[in-house]
Amino acid sequence: MKYFLIVFLIVTGNVFAKNIEQTEITTDDGIEVFQNEKYYLLKKNVIIKSPSFTLTADLVKAFFDKDLYDVTKIESEGNSKLTSQKNIQAIGDTINFSLKDDEILILGKKSSLIYVDIKMYSNESIHVINKTGEFFINGDKSKLKTNKIEIMGDKIDGKYNSKENFNDIEKLFVEDKEIANIITETMNLFSKKAIYNKETNIIELFEKVKIIRENEVITGDYAEINTEKNSYKIKSNNNNKVKALIINNNE
Amino acid sequence: MNYFLQINKKNILFLIFFLLIFFFIYLVINNFDFKQKKNLNLQDKKNTTYDILNPKFTINKTKEKISVTAKEGNFLDNNKVLLQNKVIFQSNNFTLLSDNVIYNQKEQVANSNTSSVFHSDGIEIKSNGFSIIDGGNMIEFNGKSKLIISK
Repeated sequence: MKYFLIVFLIVTGNVFAKNIEQTEITTDDGIEVFQNEKYYLLKKNVIIKSPSFTLTADLVKAFFDKDLYDVTKIESEGNSKLTSQKNIQAIGDTINFSLKDDEILILGKKSSLIYVDIKMYSNESIHVINKTGEFFINGDKSKLKTNKIEIMGDKIDGKYNSKENFNDIEKLFVEDKEIANIITETMNLFSKKAIYNKETNIIELFEKVKIIRENEVITGDYAEINTEKNSYKIKSNNNNKVKALIINNNE
Repeated sequence: MNYFLQINKKNILFLIFFLLIFFFIYLVINNFDFKQKKNLNLQDKKNTTYDILNPKFTINKTKEKISVTAKEGNFLDNNKVLLQNKVIFQSNNFTLLSDNVIYNQKEQVANSNTSSVFHSDGIEIKSNGFSIIDGGNMIEFNGKSKLIISK
């Protein structure tokens, strides 16, 4: 019985050890190993299953550091899909990510990245540096969505702070050639440019400003919205005047 | 008096017994030699199916030396050798095993279309063949391939 137990423990121990530490890569059209350039070229229907992530793509370049097993960076092309243990789901034509720096770049139309409660969408690029929490979303009709806020613009840059089950947006810069849009729990904001800082709880809106709150519609050239007090002040250039429209739904 | 009658019967029987033993030994030795000759002939015939027995050489084109061994080798032309049966490419960094490999001595390129296994520290690659290009700097694994990285 003793011997049986010892053998059982050794066998199961080995199996689990292998499962934890192994990365399995399969391809339909071969693997090229470039020893001087230090990368693998994985061709056609590539599937990478590692303990920390799963990636599928048409073509993958996997860069290694000193040794062949030490993969540090991955560049995938064509129908790329990434699912990570850190609750990251990424879809794009190209997904490049660094395992060392915890950084991801998604390129292509209908790109998306979901990280816990933050959802990022773009038709050009999504770049996230997880170590610092910085993100850069570029491209026409880019979008960022959390449980509290929804932002649309050509350029959405910012910083988040990872909490236990959610990410808190700390800084935000939004810009659009025509008009950017921020939807909070109580307001719908439009402007060409917007800046948000969590420390001051202020959203600044620049140019072609329009604030919709319940039945109020206010337009101007510059606005400051206090997200904590749910109040705002709006200014106008000399040429334009601040306009306020109050809609009474009862009438 | 007949002298033959004076010879001891026991001695005659003993002599006959010894003669029989010698005859038997002669037959055994002869038979053994025959088998050995037959084996050698068969081996000669077998040897004629390949040009080189246990070929062994080194690829020196890059800074990394790759030694190549196989059980059999056949010259296909002045530059190409078909290596067969347990073909092993070995360097300080990797070992590559296959059963049929064509090696071009002039260009220092090796190709295989049979199943191959590549081993390196923490790495195993299984494929349906391979090509060693640029003196080993680039190794291409063909067809459906599987790479296992163990850390």
